[in-house]
Amino acid sequence: MVEIEIDEDACVGCGSCVDDCPNDVYKMNEETWKTTVVNADDCMACLSCHEICPSQAMTHSNIHVAKRLYIDRKVNDVLEKII
Amino acid sequence: MDMEIEEIRGTFKPEIIPKETGGDIEDYEEALHVLMKFVGSMSSALEQVSGRGANAIVYQAGKRMGHDAAKMMEKTDDLEQALNEMGEVLGVEFYFEMWKPAGQEGYTIEKGNETVVKVLFMDCVVRQTLRRTGLPQKGPLCYLLYGYMVGAVEEVMSIKGKLDIDHVGPNACLKTLTIKWGGK
Ligand code: SF4
Ligand code: SF4
Repeated sequence: MVEIEIDEDACVGCGSCVDDCPNDVYKMNEETWKTTVVNADDCMACLSCHEICPSQAMTHSNIHVAKRLYIDRKVNDVLEKII
Repeated sequence: MDMEIEEIRGTFKPEIIPKETGGDIEDYEEALHVLMKFVGSMSSALEQVSGRGANAIVYQAGKRMGHDAAKMMEKTDDLEQALNEMGEVLGVEFYFEMWKPAGQEGYTIEKGNETVVKVLFMDCVVRQTLRRTGLPQKGPLCYLLYGYMVGAVEEVMSIKGKLDIDHVGPNACLKTLTIKWGGK
């Protein structure tokens, strides 16, 4: 089963994940105005929320990680040297 | 140019199955990236020239591929079995599973003379190509896979099918496959 963890210190409460998730996995906590996971069972690990979150506040565990053959390893090597 | 090219020199005789393909995994990787770039730019050019018509063209191409690929598959009228067989045809590069919300009992839903199933594509070369070339998902190239899937399911089950996109994400895409009973 997918496990989702939210870093509450990182979450800026923009609500983008709530709007973007197609399966209503998140809900804003009205008091803290941080996102909360309310429906992890319906998470299909599309990771759209990762792409939209401005502060990379969530971590999904126990998911199928799609192959990323599109990443050019040569470019990565160069970037690693620069950064 | 200071790029080093390792040339393969040898004797070449016509043969049915070459024993030596030439090149190692890095050459394959290089070739994959070149292909991704070509296909990506072809797709965006097609969209530029033909607008929404690009989707229809690519869909048709995919559908033909799906019909061809599924000719070898065992015919069935069981949707779950058909999807399993298609998983083998599509291979690890288009790894998918049936998906349902936690509260739903089975994977398939019957609606009159239609059966609906949600399919979650986890690994997808099309998605990788789009990301490689910085193109958005749901564009013409995605229609290649929709066509492929529909063509294959039509071939295996001798029915009419359609695939709709529910959601696209960087790690998985959810689609709804609808099959219409009662022949083509
Ligand atoms: S991975 Fe997809 S389904 Fe899961 S919480 Fe994020 S947006 Fe929702
Ligand atoms: S998108 Fe990120 S920052 Fe915004 S509410 Fe969700 S977790 Fe918090």
